[in-house]
Amino acid sequence: MGSLFRSEEMCLAQLYLQSEAAFACVSELGELGLAQFRDLNPNVNAFQRKFVNEVRRCDEMERKLRFLERELKKDKIPIRDTGDDPVAPPPREMIGLEAKFEKLENEMKEVNTNQEALKRNFLELTELKHILRKTQSFFEEAAMYHGNQPETNQPEEENLLVNDYAKTPYTKLGFVAGVILREKVPAFERVLWRACRGNVFLRHAEIETTFEDPHTGDTVNKCVFIIFFQGDQLKTRVKKICEGFRATLYPCPETPQERREIAIGVMTRIEDLQTVLNQTEDHRKIVLSQVALDIRVWFIKVRKIKAIYHTLNLFNVNIAEKCLIAECWCPVVEIDRIQLALRKGTELSGSSVPSIMQRMNTKEAPPTYNRTDKFTQGFQAIIDAFGIANYREVNPAPFTIITFPFLFAVMFGDIGHGLLMFLFALYLVLSEKKYLAKKPENEIFEMMFDGRYLILLMGIFSMYTGFLYNECFSRSINVFGSAWNVNAMNDSNTTLQGSGTLTLDPKTYGVFRGTPLPYPNGTGDPYPYGIDPIWQSAGNKISVQNSYKMKNAVIMGLLQMIFGLVLAFYNHRYNKDYLALFCEWIPQLIFLMCLIGYLCILIFYKWAVWNVLNSNSAPSLLIGLINMFMFTKPTWAKKTQLYSNQNEVQITIVIIAILCVPWMLLTKPIILYLRNKFQGTTRYAGVRVAVDETSDDVAILDHDHLDDPETASITPKDEEEKFDMSEVLIYQVIHTIEYCLSCISHTASYLRLWALSLAHSELSEVLWTMVMHSGLSAKGILGAFMSFVIFWGFAGLTVGILLVMEGLSAFLHALRLHWVEFQSKFYKGEGYLFTPFSFSLIVEGRVDE
Amino acid sequence: MGDIYDMFFNMDSGYLEGLVRGFKNGILNKEDYRHLTQCDTLEDLKLHLQGTGYGHFLANEPSPLTVSVIDEKLREKLVVEFEYLRNHAYKDLATFLDFIKYSYMIDNIILLITGTLHQRQLSELLPKCHPLGIFDQMETVTIANTTADLYNAILVDSPLAPFFKECISEEDLNEMNIEIIRNTLYKAYLEAFYDWCQRTGGPTADVMCEILAFEADRRSIIITINSFGTELSKEDRAKLYPRRGKLFPDGLIELSKADEYESVKRVSELYAEYRPLFDGTGNNPGDKTLEDKFFEHEVTLNVNSFMQQFQYGVFYSYVKLKEQECRNIIWIAECIAQRHRAKIDSYIPIM
Repeated sequence: MGSLFRSEEMCLAQLYLQSEAAFACVSELGELGLAQFRDLNPNVNAFQRKFVNEVRRCDEMERKLRFLERELKKDKIPIRDTGDDPVAPPPREMIGLEAKFEKLENEMKEVNTNQEALKRNFLELTELKHILRKTQSFFEEAAMYHGNQPETNQPEEENLLVNDYAKTPYTKLGFVAGVILREKVPAFERVLWRACRGNVFLRHAEIETTFEDPHTGDTVNKCVFIIFFQGDQLKTRVKKICEGFRATLYPCPETPQERREIAIGVMTRIEDLQTVLNQTEDHRKIVLSQVALDIRVWFIKVRKIKAIYHTLNLFNVNIAEKCLIAECWCPVVEIDRIQLALRKGTELSGSSVPSIMQRMNTKEAPPTYNRTDKFTQGFQAIIDAFGIANYREVNPAPFTIITFPFLFAVMFGDIGHGLLMFLFALYLVLSEKKYLAKKPENEIFEMMFDGRYLILLMGIFSMYTGFLYNECFSRSINVFGSAWNVNAMNDSNTTLQGSGTLTLDPKTYGVFRGTPLPYPNGTGDPYPYGIDPIWQSAGNKISVQNSYKMKNAVIMGLLQMIFGLVLAFYNHRYNKDYLALFCEWIPQLIFLMCLIGYLCILIFYKWAVWNVLNSNSAPSLLIGLINMFMFTKPTWAKKTQLYSNQNEVQITIVIIAILCVPWMLLTKPIILYLRNKFQGTTRYAGVRVAVDETSDDVAILDHDHLDDPETASITPKDEEEKFDMSEVLIYQVIHTIEYCLSCISHTASYLRLWALSLAHSELSEVLWTMVMHSGLSAKGILGAFMSFVIFWGFAGLTVGILLVMEGLSAFLHALRLHWVEFQSKFYKGEGYLFTPFSFSLIVEGRVDE
Repeated sequence: MGDIYDMFFNMDSGYLEGLVRGFKNGILNKEDYRHLTQCDTLEDLKLHLQGTGYGHFLANEPSPLTVSVIDEKLREKLVVEFEYLRNHAYKDLATFLDFIKYSYMIDNIILLITGTLHQRQLSELLPKCHPLGIFDQMETVTIANTTADLYNAILVDSPLAPFFKECISEEDLNEMNIEIIRNTLYKAYLEAFYDWCQRTGGPTADVMCEILAFEADRRSIIITINSFGTELSKEDRAKLYPRRGKLFPDGLIELSKADEYESVKRVSELYAEYRPLFDGTGNNPGDKTLEDKFFEHEVTLNVNSFMQQFQYGVFYSYVKLKEQECRNIIWIAECIAQRHRAKIDSYIPIM
């Protein structure tokens, strides 16, 4: 069987690594990514482990790198991605790296502080420049008011002030000027007014250009303000308030002459500063562009070192023998590669003593490892989402590859919709290299991308079932020519004109090409593939298709459930669980066959035996099934009998089915009970077997247990589980009831195949007749125009409702049929996933240590 | 009313309640504290905190770590979480969260006024203010000389204005005065908060009134004990008692007459809830202080608040629990930093 059928065979191995070779060996194993290490010191705190200092140094390096990365992002310098994957450098190189990062960080910090100081200086000067410019207009205004005082109709307080200004000597009115954040202005103004009891005059003007906060780098809007007041007490008060609102005050001379002089000085200083700033910026750019070349490689190196030390922390340290002991799960077939990696690691480190790998015996369940590729991983994900398979349990994923898209397509059968879905998936598949390289941000898109092969198959299968249903956007395609002939009915003109619908009676000669036997010259075959296109326009289309699809659903359901049981058989055989095979599996199969299997046989029988001529007297299968359990005798007269001796056959079937119930329920617990009673002898045998094992293995196991008293105390308990008859019995009762009920309910559940298929075809037909048809039925130029406009509506609704929403619902139902109806027959799903120590996952940041 | 309230609760605040319950699961448990107390250095502490809900909150801090950096980061994390809740809160919950902020505002104002009184620079005081209690006018409180000034010029626009009514006077600000202002403000705040919760009704009232009543009683008792030997008169003291707790009204009258610790104890022991808090407290080494007992009781109340659904109490409790947790971590960190391990276990475990 293929590798996907069962998970890889795993084994627990013990590694003895020389302490000087351990780093290189783990590094090689990390590149390989095939070993899952177990934590051998679960009771030791994170900070009490051996290599905690090394981990801490890596943390520190990572922090420095993150700092540099942030600086790069701030300056929008692209990080070079050469795609190469450096191996973890040996520990002695760590010091070099640390020194390098330290130097870079310090350099960067120095540049930053310099730049910040310069920028702050620059900011202050620019603010001063703005103050000088803006206050100029304030002063000019004041001067203007002074001149034209009588004409002004300013608010009262300003007038008062200007009056003061006019009357009192100029020097007595003090003022401060400064800059404040724009959003603080209203509160500032109010507090000023309140605290100074209205005795100050504030003017402010917005500065149009935005500033950059030198510390955070954010852009901020600021306002220039000038406050006039009288007296020293107010001055201190105003200054305090300014301080409270973090306004920066600047000296502003009173005469225009001085202001102009200062302004000129400021301008020259700004220019000087600008050149210095540019130089610092260039220097920063140079440093950063060097960093950008290597930072990705550094990140990978540091992460690898850190991961290695994290792994080493999981190991047991044997001080006496100067070696580290590790335990890991690994696939049996890969042991050679792992050993090769160990040898390589030992050679690289120059250690003289080889590293040893030894298989261990364990009672613990190994992890489940299914090797997937890009095609199968989507399907495996569906199974894993339900539950990770037990170790070496039959994996439903390979069968899901076909059954899942098929069941989906049964509910989604339409050539057109399937084609659109197929093309979408094909696009994803063809451009997968592009998307793999650059992971899409959108979560929904990523989900669809991960399931691209699933969608592709769903599209293909939908086209197939669409051909069978003969539906393309709810229209039929007449490929082979319909097998029905209206002319043969020889309807009179009155009938043709009088009634809206015509009856095509297949009993009439020549109306239906495929009519079975009684017509010797039956004139050929029915429509060779799928449903005859004439049904699309038939009035009784739905009732015919319902009957057909319903029966199909039951048959497909039975087939999938039986297939599930077959897989259960493989599980029992693999586990050598003959008790379950004979006491559970066989009665289960018989029970299912008696109930649903018999029904399916009747369906085929009825299809084969009843034909056009005697279809009037065909018995109802559902009533027949009910009567079977009521032991009502079917008769020809009541049109309930299908074949002779039916009653006897049915009674036998029901009795067999009923007998299966106690078989399932009781035999296994009774046998278990009897076994337990005579357990004394078997246990004795068990001990002998343990002694027979090679002395080496025993020693290792003992050693392991000594180090880890907790597991040692648990292990013997696991080995001999206490037998509790009542528990076994209750468990068996629950499972028997569950199985018996599920035979009925799961079969009924498969009817969703019919229901969703019906819903889909009805919905698409409604969409056609209500939207597209109305567009096509308009005449003339208007019609051309209309059908163009309406087509887009139709297309939008088709994609939105039928493809996305209906597709999602069909997907969910197919998912449910697999998880519940199919997998409940054989799948335990109580395992745990194999998570190997692998650099490729760690470097991508997908694994958080 | 209760049922209808429940029905619509999730519509407005369901997301945030879920969020806060999720946050609450990140609160350190006994095991975590046990590990923390075993740390030898602050680096160990950082390493262990990385494994908890705090994640990499210290990852970008250069070594060596100091306690103040840890404190700052812890606080920052709480503030970020709280601000997220506040920004997404709607209607009543927004008011409720604002109420939580008010207590920090009061603390900040008092801190600033006291600081200015002691001639400290504003730039030195600001970093000490709790970031949850920062508001626009806060930094200007330093200009006020009298309480009337303080109110008229600055606080009248702030959300604290309603609480300030009772403490307006023309007296100069001095140390005694500030204490009185703090307690009066707190009293007004607690009463307003209590009344608001009462009006909101439903499970919020059930849970919050219990917690706030305890808070009020705790304040009354602490004020009384701290007032012994100061110049605060008994009448003035009685004015500071929040009148919403279980001690109100009889207990408060008795408390106002108290002259010594024993009589406070006698009064409190009449109330079943507070009786155990006074048992076995003392200042001897090994004994728990009354304050610790109060903290423990508060933690119990706050943890219990998570038992009820469809109420705002969880938000209050989360903030308080987180605050307690920050105090615990800082305590442990200080003990580690000062190599004073004898008392490292006197933190207050939460879960």
